[in-house]
Amino acid sequence: MIDSGFDRRDFLKVMGWGGTAVALSGCGNTSIEDGKETVVSYVEAPDYVIPGVGVYYNSTCAQCDAGCSINGKVREGRVLKLEGNPASPINRGKTCGLGQAGVQHHYNPDRVREPLLRNGDKGETITWEKAYALIAEKLKGVKGEEIAFLSGGVSGHLKALLGNYLDSIGCKNHYVYEALAPGVVRAANKKAYGVEMPRYNINKAKVVLSFGADFLGAWVSPVHFSQQYAQFRKGVDGQRGVLIQVESKMTLTGANADRWIPVRPGTEGILALGIINALGTTSGEIAAAVKEYDKARVSKETGVPPGHIDKIAALLKLRSPSLVLVGSAAEGYAHGSQNAAAINLLNHVLGNIGKTVQAASSVPFPQLSPTKGNTAALKSLNDGLAAGKFKVVFNYAANPVFTAPGAMKFKDNLAKAGFKVAFAHYLDETALQADLVLPLDSALEDWGTQVPEYLADGAQINIQQPLMEKLHANTRGMGDILLTLIKQRRADSYKNYEDYYAYLRAAMLQNKGALGGGGLDEDAFWNETLTKGIIKMSGTTVALSGRTGASGLTVPGAVECDEQYPLQLIPGVNISLRDGRHSNQPWLQESPDPLTTIVWDSWVEIHPKKAAELGIVEGDIVEVTSRTGSIRVQAYLFPGIHPDAISIPIGQGHEALGRYAKGYGVNPFQILDAIYDKETGELAMHETRVKVSKTGQRVIVVKDESAAGAKQIREKIAGRMSTDEVDLSKEV
Amino acid sequence: MSVSNLLENWSQFRHFHPVDDKPHDPYKWAMSIDLDACSGCNACSVACYAENNLPVVGREKYAHGHVMHWMRIEHYWDEDVGEEGGREFPDQGAQFLPMMCQQCEAAPCETVCPVGATNHTADGLNSQIYNRCVGSRYCEANCPYKVRYFNWYDYPTTDNVWPAEMTQQLNPDVTVRGKGVMEKCTFCVQRLNAAKVAAKSEGRIVHDGEVQTACQQACPTSAISFGNLVDPESRVHKQWQAQQVEIDKEKQAKDMQEGGTELRGYRILENMRPYPSVMYLERVRESAV
Repeated sequence: MIDSGFDRRDFLKVMGWGGTAVALSGCGNTSIEDGKETVVSYVEAPDYVIPGVGVYYNSTCAQCDAGCSINGKVREGRVLKLEGNPASPINRGKTCGLGQAGVQHHYNPDRVREPLLRNGDKGETITWEKAYALIAEKLKGVKGEEIAFLSGGVSGHLKALLGNYLDSIGCKNHYVYEALAPGVVRAANKKAYGVEMPRYNINKAKVVLSFGADFLGAWVSPVHFSQQYAQFRKGVDGQRGVLIQVESKMTLTGANADRWIPVRPGTEGILALGIINALGTTSGEIAAAVKEYDKARVSKETGVPPGHIDKIAALLKLRSPSLVLVGSAAEGYAHGSQNAAAINLLNHVLGNIGKTVQAASSVPFPQLSPTKGNTAALKSLNDGLAAGKFKVVFNYAANPVFTAPGAMKFKDNLAKAGFKVAFAHYLDETALQADLVLPLDSALEDWGTQVPEYLADGAQINIQQPLMEKLHANTRGMGDILLTLIKQRRADSYKNYEDYYAYLRAAMLQNKGALGGGGLDEDAFWNETLTKGIIKMSGTTVALSGRTGASGLTVPGAVECDEQYPLQLIPGVNISLRDGRHSNQPWLQESPDPLTTIVWDSWVEIHPKKAAELGIVEGDIVEVTSRTGSIRVQAYLFPGIHPDAISIPIGQGHEALGRYAKGYGVNPFQILDAIYDKETGELAMHETRVKVSKTGQRVIVVKDESAAGAKQIREKIAGRMSTDEVDLSKEV
Repeated sequence: MSVSNLLENWSQFRHFHPVDDKPHDPYKWAMSIDLDACSGCNACSVACYAENNLPVVGREKYAHGHVMHWMRIEHYWDEDVGEEGGREFPDQGAQFLPMMCQQCEAAPCETVCPVGATNHTADGLNSQIYNRCVGSRYCEANCPYKVRYFNWYDYPTTDNVWPAEMTQQLNPDVTVRGKGVMEKCTFCVQRLNAAKVAAKSEGRIVHDGEVQTACQQACPTSAISFGNLVDPESRVHKQWQAQQVEIDKEKQAKDMQEGGTELRGYRILENMRPYPSVMYLERVRESAV
């Protein structure tokens, strides 16, 4: 399709849609000065183009999987800024910092521009024809079970096409991997509520008790939850919502809590059972299950004072409905499933089901609904690689060489695969190991559909459309690549689709009626779809079901002190950098971490009390050693962490990716032990134990806060009032 | 001039807006930021980078204090956290405060500029004229909020600030600043002017909500309101009024009532009498837990 006479951009122009049409007049990395580009005024400008005036096109943000709809400002063929699309029930016109930086993904100077074939240590530029032929050749005679396809979460038509391609090559090994997926929480929710991700109504709750769910920062759908949070603070029936956050390392959500409760790492489930016990409203099976968890014992094991447990229980009793959330801090242990089950039980006990925990809708097309990534998939892939099972390995939208725990030795195992193909935006750590690297279009250049895992209101399919002409001539959309590959096998079935755009359009028009375009003709429906950027539908609702009892519910006690490795390592999830795939976007590197204000680097958070014990001061380079390995990193004294734990943020420590990422900070994944949740097989991210020793070196920490630390000296400019003093419901 | 003379006859010496013959009409841009809603997520700051062509200075220059973030999130712990005899943990969370140019009505930066590069506009903005600025940095020294940023380097020609591809993202409505000039938050003046021109061509004034600043538009919790303070229909006007904060006073109702009040609105460093155009709403925390 690539070399056919048909130009999809021309087609677009005919259609009168997409910012791309304007861009035909010239952009890319040429300049007027070098003579490759000339200034030509519009003799006959397209109707909607006025030089100097921005035109806005709707699309979907691809910086994370939350599925926020965006509205891109396009001027003279270039996309300048992304705003939220107010029509989307998910983000309602809002964006996060990560989403804002989407343009830096698109314009990134370190994107891969040509297909590269390994020649020793170097990548040699080859043509797409050769690349496709090479894949066909490498797949020849290879059995389906000898092929592995690793990807991040996929949804929409890309998922359908990928499934068909894998089917055509007989590959049954599709590993869907997300380094930071809430895998254990999904499984626990499925048991407790009957769905993996129910709809949470933070805005309807009077109390939110969150066990390590960083819903304002990096959990599931942060922009959506942030808006709910704002409503929750204004209050239901005039009563301002109260947020209690239980976690061992303060997250952004913890920093916004009315009460932040530092709990001994891993004992979140015990505290949940202790609260059920203190509520004293249960009987029968549940009461029997929590009988042992009296205040004295719970307090001893969790480190939470008995008075606090009483206060929480009293508040939960008094103010209903409440909402209990279980997040990544509680699930990250070998007993993560048990923790999550105990915490979810609280929602049943408090009667929140059906009020603040509601049935989620799903898109009525199962073939488009998201295939969610988890970390158990990485383990099976790694085991297969270690056993030398795979002759051909594909990788798309995942960077396991960077994000796999060091103990897995993923990079070494990957080397055992015969032929490795990476579909990549950047030469990241995993792409560098590949034999063939195929450059992808940016999310602002590509077509697609997306269905988010967390649907806010009804169901929706998000449309992704190019906001401008491709920056680099030799990148391709993932859909286009898959379509070409599938034509190698099933030419007849796909011969009607010139390219992915044609496929997508045809697929959407086929279901016009079901997608709400029953009364419209094809062009009108398609144009309306692209204009809106979202197809809303009522969706099918699965009623909540699931276990309400407590049978088989046990939570192990707090771990005994480990003399050799006395501290728990908590990999911190930074709101901007997440799993590290966006670390090469300089705005994000220069955006201070909200809690420490550190930029362009990694750090280890140590509680001041523990630091004093170890003789560590800010800026000391310390060696953090686990059973798997060790890394050296600057110390930052942080009061928002349990003294038995330390935390290093993930996302930094790249050895590749690009100029803004490579060589900054350290990668804590490298020293993570391979410990798994016993029930789900998900990686227990918080289970690694470490020791810390000084190296004698010291640096000045590069951060935004002053030398005085995060304290207000002299006059206070940011104060705090108590709820006794104000009534927010009376405010404007 | 003695200090006592200065203090006694303050009003004669202080240049203050609006001056009698030029009242704020029809615009006075102002903001209010609800710190109870603000989560400290930094979206506003990144949106500002995107809108206003702010350079990314890199690690080394950041360490030297050369960062150019017009909008920054200040982050504080309570005083007694981690102190001797104080609390071990910040168990009531942290404090976040978005800080940018407060567009003061009697701006300390304006009076010290030797060349008049920074001055007041009729619609109540503290403007910065880049091609008049000679880089004395007096304004930066005199700004009590530390929100003025100096171009120590020529960022457009500095490696890796705007590599060729990234120059295409630059907002054509905003000047890219060169070495030796001062810059700061403008309340997204390019958006304000576009809205004003559009309104004027229709013979009306800008409606509330018609123009948003980049930070306001991004803010996931809608903590930032922005609008025309002299428009009684605007949200900002209503908020200021409800909080009894008056732009030309240095003591507000909140400060004058003893033993606390229901009012949350305050302005920062009001007692220095810069008469800032940004009102903050104090953070609230539950007393029952």
